[in-house]
Amino acid sequence: MNELDEIQAFFAQQLRSRRALPNDAAVSEQAQRVVKASGRLSAVERLEIYREQFWLRHTASLAEDFPGVRGIVGQSAWATLVEGYLAAYPPQSFTLRDLGGRFPDHIAGQSVLPQLRLCTDMARLELAYIEIFDAADVPPITPETLSAIPESAWQAARLVIHPALRLLQVEYRVAPLRRQLIEAQSQHQPSQDAHEHAVLAERDPHCLLVFRRDLQLFQERISRGAHALLGALTRRVPLLSACEQAQLEVPDQAAEIAESIGPWFQAWAARGLVTGVEV
Amino acid sequence: MPLDSARSARLGVPDLGVGVGLRVPHYAQIQSQRPPVDFFEIISENFMVEGGKPRDHLARVLESYRVVPHGVSLGIAGPEPLDWEYLKRLKRLLSQVKPPWVSDHFCWCGAGGAHLHDLLPIPFTKQAVTRVVERARAVQDFLELRFALENTASYLCFESSTLSEWEFISEVAERANVGLLFDVNNAYVSAYNHGFDPYEFVEHVPHDRVVQIHLAGHTNLGAYIIDTHRGTVQDPVWDLYRRTIELTGPVSTLLEWDDQIPSLEELLAEAEKARTIRDAALSGKAPASPIRGVPVQGMQTQGTQPGWQQGGPRESAREAPSQ
Repeated sequence: MNELDEIQAFFAQQLRSRRALPNDAAVSEQAQRVVKASGRLSAVERLEIYREQFWLRHTASLAEDFPGVRGIVGQSAWATLVEGYLAAYPPQSFTLRDLGGRFPDHIAGQSVLPQLRLCTDMARLELAYIEIFDAADVPPITPETLSAIPESAWQAARLVIHPALRLLQVEYRVAPLRRQLIEAQSQHQPSQDAHEHAVLAERDPHCLLVFRRDLQLFQERISRGAHALLGALTRRVPLLSACEQAQLEVPDQAAEIAESIGPWFQAWAARGLVTGVEV
Repeated sequence: MPLDSARSARLGVPDLGVGVGLRVPHYAQIQSQRPPVDFFEIISENFMVEGGKPRDHLARVLESYRVVPHGVSLGIAGPEPLDWEYLKRLKRLLSQVKPPWVSDHFCWCGAGGAHLHDLLPIPFTKQAVTRVVERARAVQDFLELRFALENTASYLCFESSTLSEWEFISEVAERANVGLLFDVNNAYVSAYNHGFDPYEFVEHVPHDRVVQIHLAGHTNLGAYIIDTHRGTVQDPVWDLYRRTIELTGPVSTLLEWDDQIPSLEELLAEAEKARTIRDAALSGKAPASPIRGVPVQGMQTQGTQPGWQQGGPRESAREAPSQ
């Protein structure tokens, strides 16, 4: 490692420190060797400016992207949660848009977090919003394309599902809760505690389809059968196999899946969720 | 014009006049009213996405305006090799925008696989010059477009530096044959923080390589100044801008305002102030030279917890979706 790399490695390590650097005698001494003091600030105080900004910037970015999670856990727990996340998953992408990509996974592992499942559901929903917001624009499949597919080809056909679509299974009604929390934040109302939020978001396991059509985000409840089928199709499983997989996954809705596949397909195609068929 | 041709016509880059940063709170008004703006600057990374609203808004702005992308994440001086995936995505954006130049910063952004999303200061050494020259050339060649690097505002300097900042950026610009984006506010902020005369900086950069100028507000905390891009441009920075224009001649000037973003009217009024000063400097009607030297005191700015960010808030999916 050359001198430039060494300086940068030292610098980068200190920026991600969770403790204020001037409180650390060893770091202060190291900083003196690398950084010039100014007439107003010591070397370590100058380095500390950058460390503070690292945390301010990334905390603010996550707060912007996950207002629902922040609203549920409250400010104090939020700071701890974010610190732990950034330590466990240092930012790696060039864009802050990707900063929260592992946030739901991190939250799911925080067993001490009150209302863990509610927080995890909310994080997954909010990550889905982030991901579909600027996913690729792809035109829907046209009626001409559909009608050109021979009847015999359908069973083995693989549907191409729009990239701006996500499927979720949640325990709580997190979507309406999120709206309330954002409204409360915009009106600077004090955040409620986790218990109150849990009451607001009563346990109500359901499946959600979240998608973007044109430039608008939409979400709707779908059945577990539709969720399973759409999930298999998204993984490019051929149509017949996708049906079978969905029926195995949700045996109590096997009949509904068999009966509904036609209407579901028509509805999904009409909404632009199907962008192509590979035969 | 080949990139390596003579430096006439300011490296082949036109003077676009006075522009402002394209920011989310102004999108609707810009699209509905189409106010007169010479050009907009965008933060490249905010539009290096596959689709959705960011790309749609950009397409609409491009129908009526010149747009120049300005990056914040390349990290040209970093310890890791250039990120070619990043550059491919940037090149795709450039194919849509078709700008006369593209810029990023003299900085590094991370180490050890972590991206710290900051414009981190470079030790001004020959070793760093070599690294940045090599990469700046490679970036410009790959993008097939004039590439410019901006001097950053910094809050520390290194014991190992053997060059002044202006010596460093001049040597890189000359050897790599790239342009300079001269940020007047950053020069002032760094001068205050490190105790040098910002006029010395302005006078020693290669003026014919300056393809764009940045102006912005800052926050003076007493012990140091932060380049917050908040508020109006401060008087000493206007003075420094006037001197910069006298030395460079007509150069595209861009006003950045990224924190506590004002109304579009207020932003454009500040840009008009830049135009007035620029026109006066170019016509030789500039007022008497201001006081030079190391900036030792300034009006301490009050406000909320200061932070620095580039480009204001990223457009995001905060709004609740429809049912």
